[in-house]
Amino acid sequence: MSRSHTVDELRAAFTVALEAATSAEDLKNLRDQYLGRKRGAVQAILKSVADAPAEERRTLGKNANQLKQEIEQALESRRQSLEESHGPTGAIDVTLAGRPVKLGHRHPLTIIREEIEGIFAGLGFEILHGPEVEDDYHNFEALNMPPEHPARDMQDTLYLEQALPAKEGPAGTLLRTHTSGMQVRYMETHDPPVRIIAPGLVYRRDTPDQTHSPMFQQVEGLLVGDTVTMADLKGTLECFLRQLFEPDIEVMFRPSFFPYTEPSAEVFISCVFCSGDGCSVCKKTGWLEILGSGMVHPAVFEAVGYDPERYTGWAFGIGIDRIAILKYRVEDIRAFYDNDLRLLEQFSY
Amino acid sequence: MPITVSVKQLADGLTMRGFEVSAIDPAPVIPERPRNSEDAVLDLEITTNRPDCLSVIGIAREVSTLFGTELQIPALPAASSTSSADSLSVTVEDHAQDLCARYTASTGNVRVEPSPDWLSARLRAADVRPVNNVVDVTNYVLLELGHPMHAFDRDQLKGDEIRIRQARAGEIVKTLDDEDRALTDQMLVIADQVNAQAVAGIMGSAASEVTASTKRVTLESAYFTPRSIRRTSKELGLSTEASYRFERGADIEAPLGAMLRAQQLLIEIGACSSWSTIVDHYPAKHIQPSVSLRHARIKRVLGIDVEPSFVIKTLTQLGFNLATASQPDAPLEWNVTVPTHRVDVGREIDLIEEIARHYGYDRLPSTFPVLLSPPNPKSNYITQQQTVRHALTASGCSEAITYGFIEEIAGTAFLPEGENPVRVANPLSEKYDILRPSLLPGLVDSLIYNRRREHHDIRLFEIGHRFTANAGETAGVALVLTGSSRLEHWSNTERKTDLYDLIGIIDTLCDALGIVVTYAADTQPAFVPGQTSRISATSPAKPNKSVTLGYLGQLDQAFCRKRGLPAAGDDLYAAELDLGVAAAVATDRRRMIAQPLPRHPSVLRDIAIIIDAALPAATVRGTIRQAGPATLLSIREFDRYEGENVAAGCISLAFRLTFRASDRTLTDTEVQQSMDSIVEALQTTHDAVLR
Repeated sequence: MSRSHTVDELRAAFTVALEAATSAEDLKNLRDQYLGRKRGAVQAILKSVADAPAEERRTLGKNANQLKQEIEQALESRRQSLEESHGPTGAIDVTLAGRPVKLGHRHPLTIIREEIEGIFAGLGFEILHGPEVEDDYHNFEALNMPPEHPARDMQDTLYLEQALPAKEGPAGTLLRTHTSGMQVRYMETHDPPVRIIAPGLVYRRDTPDQTHSPMFQQVEGLLVGDTVTMADLKGTLECFLRQLFEPDIEVMFRPSFFPYTEPSAEVFISCVFCSGDGCSVCKKTGWLEILGSGMVHPAVFEAVGYDPERYTGWAFGIGIDRIAILKYRVEDIRAFYDNDLRLLEQFSY
Repeated sequence: MPITVSVKQLADGLTMRGFEVSAIDPAPVIPERPRNSEDAVLDLEITTNRPDCLSVIGIAREVSTLFGTELQIPALPAASSTSSADSLSVTVEDHAQDLCARYTASTGNVRVEPSPDWLSARLRAADVRPVNNVVDVTNYVLLELGHPMHAFDRDQLKGDEIRIRQARAGEIVKTLDDEDRALTDQMLVIADQVNAQAVAGIMGSAASEVTASTKRVTLESAYFTPRSIRRTSKELGLSTEASYRFERGADIEAPLGAMLRAQQLLIEIGACSSWSTIVDHYPAKHIQPSVSLRHARIKRVLGIDVEPSFVIKTLTQLGFNLATASQPDAPLEWNVTVPTHRVDVGREIDLIEEIARHYGYDRLPSTFPVLLSPPNPKSNYITQQQTVRHALTASGCSEAITYGFIEEIAGTAFLPEGENPVRVANPLSEKYDILRPSLLPGLVDSLIYNRRREHHDIRLFEIGHRFTANAGETAGVALVLTGSSRLEHWSNTERKTDLYDLIGIIDTLCDALGIVVTYAADTQPAFVPGQTSRISATSPAKPNKSVTLGYLGQLDQAFCRKRGLPAAGDDLYAAELDLGVAAAVATDRRRMIAQPLPRHPSVLRDIAIIIDAALPAATVRGTIRQAGPATLLSIREFDRYEGENVAAGCISLAFRLTFRASDRTLTDTEVQQSMDSIVEALQTTHDAVLR
């Protein structure tokens, strides 16, 4: 821009250019063009004031400064109005697919396990974890199952060729058939009262089929104290099962046998498929077997050094896979270990 | 016993007392028995602790207690009235004394023929195949009284002595099922003077089998130690109706009764007219245990008051004998004598169980336990697992759970150096013969499973335990990625997942765990050389000691193909971290202190340098960090370029540096000085050329 431009000409040119400006970028260019320190047109006039004839100097300086202020104000007010109106852009298709954000999915067995853990955490139970390779003592003997006890047949066991060193205690020789070992360890190192649950993977020498898996997940629970009774077991498990399933399910306790509890109880809920009317899942009985439980056998207390006269307690064990099968109506237990994304992606984050 | 209830009521009653009725079948026609429309055959599940109920009489005892009716037991003759002679003697050898506490035997002349219809029909109803009258009677007694018996063809026994002894090592017996059984010296046999004629308590020998041509029969009714029978049965892989009962515990007082019953029945059906005097080897008479039962203890365990009269009535009907042991003004206590058929009862809790069973679990109230201690805090392990799961699902990875055992060839490539696999002694199959040394083999298999089922873009992770012979059992997390890096969208151009997608996820995961990690090129057997990194970290407590957290990289393609990845499958990227090490180096986020927000602006400076392409970015970052002032907040690569205008073997790497001071606004001059020393350091250390 040449020096010969008059202030008025510049003002007119700026007004036209401002009209055409539609973005912050345009406004920045305009500012550079008119007010820029090195090449700005108004700046150039201000610089030329000194060289102007004396009689014009005052007016020119005053007018140029005024123009500078006007331009600044106009740019600022335009910037604000641009911000408010978002500018006159074209319409876009709001029904086109948005840019997807991928969330992974928790495994359905994890969802159930965390739900169970959450219910018991709410009741003040501590959640334990422990090794999957166990020694015979913690998996069987301390639980009132001495060698060659017939009840060992109930849990066909996978053994290791060579013992595996453990972080503490004896070397492991087998894959745990239940998570009870953790409870034994806990009692060995903690005095009552005890309020724990022990979730984890367990192993049995079962050939995989629709209802069997050689590896599955279990949660066991243990409560020991001065006044714990079998009636408390009933009350707690009813509360737990109604939270896990539906508030209105019926819960039934039936005598059973486990070496580590006495009296022992198998626990059933009214069939969630037919509401107790009888269907193929409950084999027309209206009841579904859900867990095993009972009062801790005094021999177990003796093994861990608790006084069985002073303390009573109850324990239970629940198979997570079975709960997931019942809740989600998955027909084949093997589906949980195929990890087919078409199944996994149906479950929540 | 006389009871007037429906079959359904009977079945429900038994089920609710611990004898699950698994099926109710229509009754077969049994001759000489009045037809009754309510007749039925009940299939019962008997728990391992109740061998006494593996018999009609045992169940009848429960039913009589259940309905309060009197149990009628078949009357037995005191001993056989007429006796025929047999000079047979019984010797229990020294080493066998512990294994056979009682042995009775008796011989009679028999006419072997098919059993009468009523007998074979009853056996068939119990799924026992009729053989001949002698064998059928021993089976009938087994079902009726629960005591196993055996019958020998007396004329096939050599000599006049039955020897109960340990088998000789290598001794072979052909059992009734026509199998040659090799015995060990841990096993007990019933022998004549020459050969073993039965594997004690399990199965007789074919040589002395009772057949149509048998003229004289020796009946055996004995008591064998459960442990010995169980061990032998397992070792031989041979389980029979007899061994099933002996290994759970037979009634030591039953052998004589069973013998008399069998003799009585054989005479009744005309198979025999007289028996020799029963030889009863029973050197140490069993003493019936007695257990004290405190009335108050019942409430203590069950949580409910049970009337003393109910206790007395129930236990008496079950065959226990109660005597009050307490003084009238002292807490009520009984001395309870345990009948010999109740091998499961040895202490007070066993009696309380009997009371609970017959009182009915459904009548117990539902109460809530009194909690007398505060809950313990959540363990770090549980918190860590949840953090890992959140970070990885938020990164688009889905959780898998795979088997803890895998096949050895899949695991070898993931064994750490100097480690050995942990082998399963009795695996289900070769596919499951070692415990996984790494989570990756299983996870790779799961990824491939999905890749073969229309999924192309797959991100899986697993949290689980790993096992190696020296390190033992450790917790870890692993992830595998393949396919597109971004989800399909109309505005996207496709980009395949690469190593930097993986590193980004590991960064996110470690950040969530409170771990600062560094990466360094390394090699691992199952990974592609040159595309593999060790993941290291230092703990806040020991900042100078770097530990290996795990590895990441591109998985070896040959391995993936061998596991079944289709030829068209994209590359697999995988990482595995040790969660135990992670826990040791993590900052405890629950103890963090929030930093005050910056009060002074930060200054950004970009710098682009040309360096040797082989120079790791981490090294350059280190040089910048060392040359930079304390006010240098962050160093981040924002551009990497090779090609035109950059010499071959070199790259242009651009960094964005952020400076900020907490106590003042940095001046241009100050930042420029810092930049000058950084540039100088890059030039002298790496021959870097400023672009």
